[in-house]
Amino acid sequence: MRTVTFLPGYRKIEIARGSTILDAAQRAGLNINVVCGGQGKCGKCIVYVQSGKTSFDAQKYGRFFTDEERSRGACLACETTIESDLQVFIPESTLIQEQKILIEGQETAIEFHPSVRKYYVELQPPTLSDPSPDLSRLLWGIQKTGGPAAEKMYVPLEVLREIPAILRHSEWKSTGTISLVPGGYRLVDLQENDTSKRLYGAAVDLGSTTIVVYLWDLVSGKIAGIASNYNRQISCGEDILARVNFARKNGLGKLQALATESINAAITSASNTAGIDREDIYEVVVAGNTVMTHMLLGIDPAYMISEPYVPVVRRALSVATGRIGIACNKNGGLFVFPAVSDFIGGDIIADILACGMSEKEEISLLIDIGTNFEVVLGNNEWMFSCAGAAGPALEGGEVLFGMRANPGAIEKITIDPDTLNPVYSTINGIKPRGICGSGLIDLLAELLCTCVIDRTGRINSGIANPRIRTSGHFPEFVIAWAAETDIGKDIVITENDIKNLIMSKASVHAACLTLMNQAGITRREITTIYFAGAFGNYINKKNATIIGLIPEIGIDRIINIGNGAVTGANIALINRRKRKTLDEIAFRIAYIELNAESSFMDEYTSSTFLPHTDLTLFPIVQKLLDTCRLAGR
Amino acid sequence: MALKALDIYKLLPKRNCKECGDPTCLTFAMKLAGGKADVELCPYLDEAAKSVLGATTRPPIRLVKLGIGERSFSVGEEFVLYRHEKTFYHPPGIVFKIADTESPDRISTVTLRVRDEFFTRVGADLRFNGIAIENASSSAEIFARAVETVEKIADLPLVLITADPAALAAALVHCGTYRPLIHAATSENRKEFCALAKQHGCPLVVRAKTIDGLAQLTRDCTADGVQDLIMDLLPESLQAFIVRSTTIRQLAITRLAPDLGYPVFLDASIMDLPDAAIALGITKYASIIISSPLSPAVAEAALTLRQNIYTDPQKPIQMNPGLYRVGNPGKDAPVLMTVNFSLTFFTLQGYLESTRLPCFMLIVDTEGLSVLTAVAAGKLSEMLVKDSIKKFAVEEEVSHRKLIIPGYASPLSGRIEEATGWKVMVGPRDAAEIGEYLHEEWKR
Amino acid sequence: MVYDVNFGWSGMISEVILGATKADGGTRRISYRIGGGKTLPFLERKPGSSVPLIAFEICDNPQYWSPIVRNFCGDLVNDCGEWAQAADSVYKADMVRLYLTSTRQRDFSDIASVGKTVETVLSGTSLPLIIEGSNEPKIDSEVFLKCGEAGQGERLLLGTAEAGRYRSIAAAAMAYNHSVIAQSPIDVNLAKQLNILLKEIGVSRDRIIIDPYTGSLGYGFEYSYSAMERIRFSALKGDADLSMPLICSATDTLTVKEVREASPAIQDDIAVQWEFTTGIAAAVAGSEIICVRHPRTIPLLRKAFGSLNTEDSGKGE
Repeated sequence: MRTVTFLPGYRKIEIARGSTILDAAQRAGLNINVVCGGQGKCGKCIVYVQSGKTSFDAQKYGRFFTDEERSRGACLACETTIESDLQVFIPESTLIQEQKILIEGQETAIEFHPSVRKYYVELQPPTLSDPSPDLSRLLWGIQKTGGPAAEKMYVPLEVLREIPAILRHSEWKSTGTISLVPGGYRLVDLQENDTSKRLYGAAVDLGSTTIVVYLWDLVSGKIAGIASNYNRQISCGEDILARVNFARKNGLGKLQALATESINAAITSASNTAGIDREDIYEVVVAGNTVMTHMLLGIDPAYMISEPYVPVVRRALSVATGRIGIACNKNGGLFVFPAVSDFIGGDIIADILACGMSEKEEISLLIDIGTNFEVVLGNNEWMFSCAGAAGPALEGGEVLFGMRANPGAIEKITIDPDTLNPVYSTINGIKPRGICGSGLIDLLAELLCTCVIDRTGRINSGIANPRIRTSGHFPEFVIAWAAETDIGKDIVITENDIKNLIMSKASVHAACLTLMNQAGITRREITTIYFAGAFGNYINKKNATIIGLIPEIGIDRIINIGNGAVTGANIALINRRKRKTLDEIAFRIAYIELNAESSFMDEYTSSTFLPHTDLTLFPIVQKLLDTCRLAGR
Repeated sequence: MALKALDIYKLLPKRNCKECGDPTCLTFAMKLAGGKADVELCPYLDEAAKSVLGATTRPPIRLVKLGIGERSFSVGEEFVLYRHEKTFYHPPGIVFKIADTESPDRISTVTLRVRDEFFTRVGADLRFNGIAIENASSSAEIFARAVETVEKIADLPLVLITADPAALAAALVHCGTYRPLIHAATSENRKEFCALAKQHGCPLVVRAKTIDGLAQLTRDCTADGVQDLIMDLLPESLQAFIVRSTTIRQLAITRLAPDLGYPVFLDASIMDLPDAAIALGITKYASIIISSPLSPAVAEAALTLRQNIYTDPQKPIQMNPGLYRVGNPGKDAPVLMTVNFSLTFFTLQGYLESTRLPCFMLIVDTEGLSVLTAVAAGKLSEMLVKDSIKKFAVEEEVSHRKLIIPGYASPLSGRIEEATGWKVMVGPRDAAEIGEYLHEEWKR
Repeated sequence: MVYDVNFGWSGMISEVILGATKADGGTRRISYRIGGGKTLPFLERKPGSSVPLIAFEICDNPQYWSPIVRNFCGDLVNDCGEWAQAADSVYKADMVRLYLTSTRQRDFSDIASVGKTVETVLSGTSLPLIIEGSNEPKIDSEVFLKCGEAGQGERLLLGTAEAGRYRSIAAAAMAYNHSVIAQSPIDVNLAKQLNILLKEIGVSRDRIIIDPYTGSLGYGFEYSYSAMERIRFSALKGDADLSMPLICSATDTLTVKEVREASPAIQDDIAVQWEFTTGIAAAVAGSEIICVRHPRTIPLLRKAFGSLNTEDSGKGE
């Protein structure tokens, strides 16, 4: 056995000599970018061996490297075998997967009523008979042009200093930018001449993996551009916990800078595409989870990740963009969504805004699933929320052939009940390389309906079919034979994979039930289930119900809101009345700590069954299963 | 049926005034529903709402305290028929009975035993709770002398068993200020017993063979000013006890019969099968169990059962953290670390036993969370592992410094190595593979 | 006021028949019909309601058995036929439960011997039998089939099905008309799941006994007790998937520290009290078969169960 230590995360794994670095990385739970499936063809899995002995054919794969890279130990993880204990550095670019990023939010008509406006004024120059000060003259002019009452406007010193020169240089023709801030209006900028048509705002979904930016023309109320990219903090750790630990050790500075940099990159890319000057962006609205927004603002998140899980701040914050280095007008405003707790952050408040559940009398259930999941239950009167770890299985992690929603991922699948032959489709329609979350949900539902697995997810090895076999001690089901794949290996799902999936789905469902119990309502009283996040967008609603990921309420009442975080940010950007309600919404939501809830474990155990131990909770599914499982037996 | 948070919320003023200490009425409602807050904290609750909420939070069975000082104990204030619905709160007192006709030596011996004897199990000292003195002599003087003997030796809660008001009065001279339990008021002697109980502020057992009779007695006694009552059902068989005790508990907790809302008394020593009676008393709602001095075997089993039944079943099933042995591991045996979620423990233990390779299991305290959730929630950390290695003196048990951690804890591997200085080996994620893993990896 | 209690139960414990007499095509001198309860244990007010059965556990390779029992039973432990006979005629058990501990030896492959052992025990006693198969998935299927075959017609109770291994035992039980023990780890939901799994492959409700796994007193019994109560409670509330009778077998009792390390003078007493206390508490929680390993526990439980079935009206009149 050899020990491989992966930097920068200092993750260790023991693995047999002769294994590849890719094997080791995957066993260590690191998502290496392997577009070709690990065949030495794509050159994406570049790593740097810092110490130790390996065997790698530098000649053969030389085309992927510069000499400088080779001298630093660069090699392909998939083609390098381990000879001794190793220390391996994985660059950020190798950790990042080319993945479908969900940039589209739900298209809803939002009343256009932004918080920031420009007013072009042509003022009368002062005279001896009209000697009122510059500021009064300007504010009065703005009021006359339709702006807020002069006495309600406040002017920061920095802007005040610039006023006399600009007014006189522009011959008293200038454009003031007025922003609605807590406590009144602020003159955030004054420009010469008429720039009133150049006013933009950015809505940002600050995710831990990806960042999505919508650029809005705040004069016309139209979207000017969209861009997305990866959160560069990934180089400090893949998950939030790792990043907070990184911050503990190395300080917060780097993470803060990387968050800003990532947002700036997306804003720049969207601005460039749309032909917009970043200086004309006056407002940036950010929705992100609590740790992300703390980091963005340079607030220490360390106290959030361990008991008693206390964030520094949960209310909405407005600060000048210049203070944290966001690439837009230096006097622009940055608005950060409020949070409920460390686990229910601004991204979830944005989801709530996007689906509108906090304004409806009917009861809705909002579910946002990633590696962690968040659930909110409620209506315009009350809301309960909780969060938990679903494990990465639903995103394709911890599943042997699981992968994220990249090209080649099986995303839809059905299985013929007689032959057990699957029919599947992949992202981009190429040969399969693995299975992504939506494909796994389909698979689980289909395996259940065809009796390949029982309700605990165990494969019936008694079925005589070449697709059902035992590898080592454990049964598995072959989805695609090597010849039909892009990776030259049979793509299978193992009993262990299925167990991980069931554990993940059970956590989500148990969280839903725990909230319903707390509120004392049954599934029948839930009018709508909203799915937020990338995962929900591609999911087969029927299959999600069959496996008991969500309560059974009828698939026509399940709605995908897509990237609710960015939709919510959009709404808050262009509608100031909605933005004003955010603090109140966040305040109104009660947070339930699942670990402290004695019934949660019980709900969890009863949810580790397909669809659920209490079959009366799934009457339609039960009927369906009775029919197809009877036929399949 | 307990009210749900939302039902309670609807009764609250919804002002979010924060005066109760909670940020919103909804969070206050959640606390009320969980029994973690008092209705009185809300200054704006109207009377109607208060009565609805108050009725659901007031204990349906009266709390009765016996004795004073260190060894005093309280019984009653229970809410459920099944412990899994909530938990049982106040373990029954097990009280040794001696007759006043016994020799002073014998009386002293038993008293000393109750005073001094204890068993330590899972960090708790298990003890007997008091001495019952029975007026077998029918003499007030002898009774009083026996009480005096006990009283001189120990400050233990007492039960005075007599039907004779004169004997009782004589005994109370010695112990009346120490809240002894008086046994027992019947329809015949109620007046006198109530007067004495009231005079000395003592709890009182009422005894009747029928539930009707008990209810009548509790009504009469409370009318006479004695509130701290305990009921002796005088069962003629084990079955009679179970039937009556269950009936009374159910009627009390559903508040259908407030007259029965008192703890139950069982004299196991006069039952056909005293050992069985003790076990049944513990499981089926007895709050005071009288017994002859028990043999060590019976005593230990009974105290253990009591500890088991009065453990909160809703806490996640947890193992005590510690170093567990599988087989007889030597200095070179592997050490496998995992969490104290009991299913994890038992599953791993089962597979380890079947590998027939002696080893140590280092169980760390994740408060009952599984590996995956403990890692995600930050409960399982390198510091916890480090502290556990130290606390359970693992370094003294083995000569090597290699720790096998669960596959799901692999993200922590580096940090654990750094913190502990032990070499970390990442084991499989599935306990079923542990045998294979040990044979392949450890043997090297 | 009439102080009567109405729990509003709607369900009933399903009935299971253990053992087959000559009339039913077997060779047992008695058969038991357990279950049928409509309320909490021992609250039945009808005469003749059943009390829990006491099963005495024996094995065919005593090296895996508690030394306390080996000492007490002496040479009997080396002959499971005679041991079974003693369980019946001397210890006065209601049933005999045979553990095929011989199959625990490494690389055990003598399947034929399993059949012979079962036959030996069948001829050693005419009480209904519980047979525990192997612990080894590789030979499970063969062992169960052999047991099932050897006991054909006797309406054995076969153990033990678990969520991870239930198909082979269910197949043997269905093929030879026996019942099965369904064991899950101390959880009402897991118990229900296993029953649903068994139902889905065709094992009918009247062929299942639930074993919620009994942790020994002081070592998990607190959870087992509530698991039993919850199962009984669910059954009475009408959950057919949890309505089967319960079996209690605290197999670790004789190896817990308090018993194992007891002073020799009172070790038997401690062992018996530990088993007895567990057994009686489990019976109160709803177990209808109580398994013991120490012969002296049997008369104690027997007397207690007698006093718990006095056909007393319970009202004291």
